[in-house]
Amino acid sequence: MTRLCEFSLRHPETIEEAARLLAAEPEVRVIAGGTALLTNLRLGLGKPASLVSLEHIPGLDKIEVSAQEVRFGAGVTLARLATVPAVRASLPALAQAALTVAGPSHRSAATLGGNLCLDTRCVYYNQNEVWRRSNGYCLKHGGEVCHVAPQGKRCHAAYSGDLAPLLLVLQAEITVTGTGGVRRMPLGQLYHDDGAQHLTLARGELVTEVSVPLPAPGMQLAYRKARVRDAIDFPLAGVAMGLRMDAGRVAELHLALTGTNSQPVLLTGTAELRGAAADAALAERVGKLVQRQASPQRTTVTTSNYRRQVATALARRLVLELAAAGAGQSRGTA
Amino acid sequence: MNEIASCASHGEGIPAPTHAAGRRQPLIDGIEKVTGRARYTTDLPATQALTGAILSSPHAHAEIVSIDVSRARALPGVRAVITGEDCDVPFGILPIARNEYPLARGKVLYWGEAVAAVAAEDEQTARAALDLIEVEYRTLPVYISAAEARAPGAVLLHANKPGNVEREVNNTFGDVDAGIAAADLVREESFHYAEVAHAQIEPDCTLAEFDPESGRLTVQSVSQVPYYVHLTISECLKMDPADVRVIKPFIGGGFGHRTETLPFEITAALLARAARGTVKLQLSRAETFTIHRARPETDIRLKIGMKKSGEITAVDAEVVQRGGASAGYGIITILYAGALLHTLYRMPAVRYRGFRVYTNTPPCGPMRGHGGVDMRHAFESLMDMMAETFGLDAFAVRRANLFVAPYQSVNELKVSTCELAACLDWVEQASGWRSRKGKLPRGRGLGVACSHFISGAAKPVHWTGEPHATVNLRLDFDGSITLLTGAADIGQGSSTLLAQIAAEVLGLELARFRVIAGDSALTPKDNGSYSSRVSLMVGNAALAAAEDLKRQLVAAAAKRLEVGVEDIECLGEAYRVIGTDRMVSYRDVVKSALEVTGPLTTRGTYTVPLDMQGGKYRGAGVGPSPAYSYAASVVEVSVDEDTGQIKVEKLWVAQDCGVAINPLAVEGQVQGSVWMGMGQALCEETEFVNGRPLRGNLLDYRVPTIVESPPIEVKIVASYEPNGPLGAKEASESSLGSIPPALAAAVAEAIGVRLPGLPLSPDRVLAALHARRREERLKSALAGAR
Amino acid sequence: MKRLVSLWLNGRHREDAVSDNLLLLDYVRETAGLTGTKCGCDGGECGACTVLIDGEPRLACLTLAAACEGKRVETIEGQAAGGKLSPLQQSFHENLGTQCGYCTPGMIMASEALLRRNPRPSEADIREALSGNLCRCTGYVKIIESVKAACES
Repeated sequence: MTRLCEFSLRHPETIEEAARLLAAEPEVRVIAGGTALLTNLRLGLGKPASLVSLEHIPGLDKIEVSAQEVRFGAGVTLARLATVPAVRASLPALAQAALTVAGPSHRSAATLGGNLCLDTRCVYYNQNEVWRRSNGYCLKHGGEVCHVAPQGKRCHAAYSGDLAPLLLVLQAEITVTGTGGVRRMPLGQLYHDDGAQHLTLARGELVTEVSVPLPAPGMQLAYRKARVRDAIDFPLAGVAMGLRMDAGRVAELHLALTGTNSQPVLLTGTAELRGAAADAALAERVGKLVQRQASPQRTTVTTSNYRRQVATALARRLVLELAAAGAGQSRGTA
Repeated sequence: MNEIASCASHGEGIPAPTHAAGRRQPLIDGIEKVTGRARYTTDLPATQALTGAILSSPHAHAEIVSIDVSRARALPGVRAVITGEDCDVPFGILPIARNEYPLARGKVLYWGEAVAAVAAEDEQTARAALDLIEVEYRTLPVYISAAEARAPGAVLLHANKPGNVEREVNNTFGDVDAGIAAADLVREESFHYAEVAHAQIEPDCTLAEFDPESGRLTVQSVSQVPYYVHLTISECLKMDPADVRVIKPFIGGGFGHRTETLPFEITAALLARAARGTVKLQLSRAETFTIHRARPETDIRLKIGMKKSGEITAVDAEVVQRGGASAGYGIITILYAGALLHTLYRMPAVRYRGFRVYTNTPPCGPMRGHGGVDMRHAFESLMDMMAETFGLDAFAVRRANLFVAPYQSVNELKVSTCELAACLDWVEQASGWRSRKGKLPRGRGLGVACSHFISGAAKPVHWTGEPHATVNLRLDFDGSITLLTGAADIGQGSSTLLAQIAAEVLGLELARFRVIAGDSALTPKDNGSYSSRVSLMVGNAALAAAEDLKRQLVAAAAKRLEVGVEDIECLGEAYRVIGTDRMVSYRDVVKSALEVTGPLTTRGTYTVPLDMQGGKYRGAGVGPSPAYSYAASVVEVSVDEDTGQIKVEKLWVAQDCGVAINPLAVEGQVQGSVWMGMGQALCEETEFVNGRPLRGNLLDYRVPTIVESPPIEVKIVASYEPNGPLGAKEASESSLGSIPPALAAAVAEAIGVRLPGLPLSPDRVLAALHARRREERLKSALAGAR
Repeated sequence: MKRLVSLWLNGRHREDAVSDNLLLLDYVRETAGLTGTKCGCDGGECGACTVLIDGEPRLACLTLAAACEGKRVETIEGQAAGGKLSPLQQSFHENLGTQCGYCTPGMIMASEALLRRNPRPSEADIREALSGNLCRCTGYVKIIESVKAACES
């Protein structure tokens, strides 16, 4: 038998009811696919009195494609995200990013909302109770000190979701429902740069919908994930990019990272690349942006230095790759 | 009954004996495995079992000042609480090195070492009881590396071992100094190897049933060595071994993790006796990692002398192994690292210094390719580097050092057969080496290396004077034959192989056989499944038992047909008077054979001939074997220079395992073995921070997935081993060691950098590439300055 | 808290009182007594517990039994029908897709999910479908061959 803390499982049938349940008591958690939450509960990370399941709420698994955007219910599984023809046709890079998450049996349970709200990770945190207790716990859970940076005052656990960076690049918006009502906001506003509290959701709030504007014609998109094994692993670093070229020059470039900071990071400074030619100098500038804004810490068994280097290398390579793909496509359509 | 008529009633003419050996035979227990019916230890019905749980040390090195279990004992539902007080008998696989207790006594020597244990009515109560045990510790300095533990003034983990050195080996064979002096090139390099783990997919578990009325104990456990479990448990519990029964259920992989009695097995037995009932002690994956017993972190300094021809003139090696907290197989491992230098190539002179060091890490032990794997990487790598200096091809330098069997090494090991030359020929041809090596695009490379292993140790670790292996065959009225063996099938297919050997001798289909393996109440004692001993040793015993049974059946047939035994030939399903059509069916022969004696049991044994048991020097017991198996591998890789990521494109392996009794299983073993070597080469490693294991899970201990695992082409080269059953020798460990050096050589070709050790993880590869670029920049800057 | 959960396990309807915090893995193994589904890790790392829920491959170790209300759960024990091994079981047996056998039930269930969706998978499809299932014995070579052979049978 496996020990999980005692909790009661609630099955609200509306989002409003779910929000009420979430607000009603302090120790309550949302469960969607459960692949991340139950792993953590098995390690003793959290002792919620109840879990609020989203499974019986109708509409959370919707995928609606319109002329302007694709609207996903937060409960869409990663397996569907990767395979539904409408997504593969309109947002192929998103489908491809979903396929990089864990393995197929995780993806058939794990959801889009769950991946966006994925807890941050750290080698001092993702250990069992016995281990953490013997280490005096940590700032993120039950302790006073961040073992990654004991002098500092913050938790450095890394955000490791694979979908957020691409959705940031796509300028996705999320719908958040709480007891106080519904709000819609850019995805970026969901996150703080704090490993212990990386989500901005208030008590009783949950992500219910993700709206992704269809990319502008000619926009090339991709997500690249650095990891040691080609499956199962979380990203050591992940890079998502959107690039639109016009007459051989950068017209628009967006770049976001995961796995390197406590939140997914949409890089600043990309506007300055507008007008640049697709050459080694551009790659160099893109690499510099990543190098400056990625902030990996010793939160994984693989060195932080490597994670910064590989994020930089992937971004450099990706910009030239996307530029070439864009050029190929415009030639193809001409 | 008319003999001929009885055969005719089968509707056949003259039957031909079945050849069960040499064919691609699915596993005899395969159906159970694919249907989920196979019961592993954790699956055994045990509805009444109490739940066992272990309190482990939160410190890597500390004195235990006091333990108070009174509150835990008082908790309702708790049936037993035990501590180090409950077992004062030290255990360890080697009679000369027993310094481990199932529950720590006085000191804890590594993080996670068991300190106390509880049996309770359910999991929750057991966990709650653990929280009520109060232990006071006084912490001691923690030594994670061998260097720290050997530093002057370090606290001794075991009082009788100065410098924390468990065993220092100093062996010189041949004239090393003369060999070095005669060399055209002498080169010395240092290498560092991370510790790796077996990571068998089945976590550890023991079910112990104590019967309070009879005082008897039955233990079912995940062991590769049920006999040693039997022996150790009876010693540690001070019980008559006759009151203990050990049963081996299905085992979910071993690879060396389970080749000695493990502390939790004894603890489960102690708990069952204390609770006077049945206890199931299931370990988590994290706890299973802490049991460890795998390949140690190793530092190697290696010097080779070589002639321009590639011929090696002398070897001088020093090895330091971080052995962990207790002895286990440590002495054997440090001896193998030296002994296995001798029997792959012709070695005129070898000096070997080895240090096995006690550290505050989980005890290391044997892992597939025991002792030889890291040294093989160092040796093959240095050989490649030196060959480059002479402009010699990697195949040429290896061929320059082949010996022709029979061969006796300078340390008195006798190799009866060796087809390494044929192995090299095949991988060279199959990989297209000659046309491709050196002509691959940047980022791609090919590497070759060789390796070998023993077919069982000629001297058992626990010498009793008994034969090395015993097999019984039981034949009863129904004509079915039950093969009884203590040899543990751990997934390698040993039960299938033994049945094939017996069936081959008797000319029968495998369907006539059942195998019962590893139940001390039924099966003869066997030393266990380790050092690749089962195929050859237990195989020979099975062969002997089958030959004995055949003799008795032939005699019964002769009597029935009223001819001499020399006139009878065994056709499997019939016995015939040679050259005639007079015959009697197998079933009728069985009837006749059982007439007077009743059900038959035959016994076959195997003992390694004395002249193969090695020399007389200290440590001579490690290395000798009745046969050695050989392998050569070529690895092709591509390397992403931006990310440091290595992709293994393909593996080619040629294996000399004598006659392949089950070619299907040989392929499976070789594929699994080289793949495991690949994992060690690419990405597997353990790691400790402040004494705590950082990678005690299957996310951070990175066992390769199916996605990055390459196609593996296996060639079984033609060979016949006279000392093996039906010509066979081992096939599961010898190929592993060839992969890390072949892979490293391929990477060296791909990126122009050779890394001094393993694993070649992306971060290490990228760091090496960056270092090379810095060096090149520096060089060109210096050149510019001139 | 316990609740009555009714579901179909290998085609047979069951109704059991289960705790909200009971994992499907423990439900299948302990409540239903079907021990073919294996536990190999401390949660979601190895794939040994792969079962099918409504035809999808899922990790029983990261699924709550109470969340399976009304669902069709399939385990390795349900694969052989009418005294006949499933094509995958037959093929894993004949081609040595199993050695120690501990990962085998999960491998076969993950393969089964693949073949129902895609009866003629490419080798890449097979690798992708089994990418969450670790095996320590085979190097995966004969697992891939087993799945391929099952498709041809």
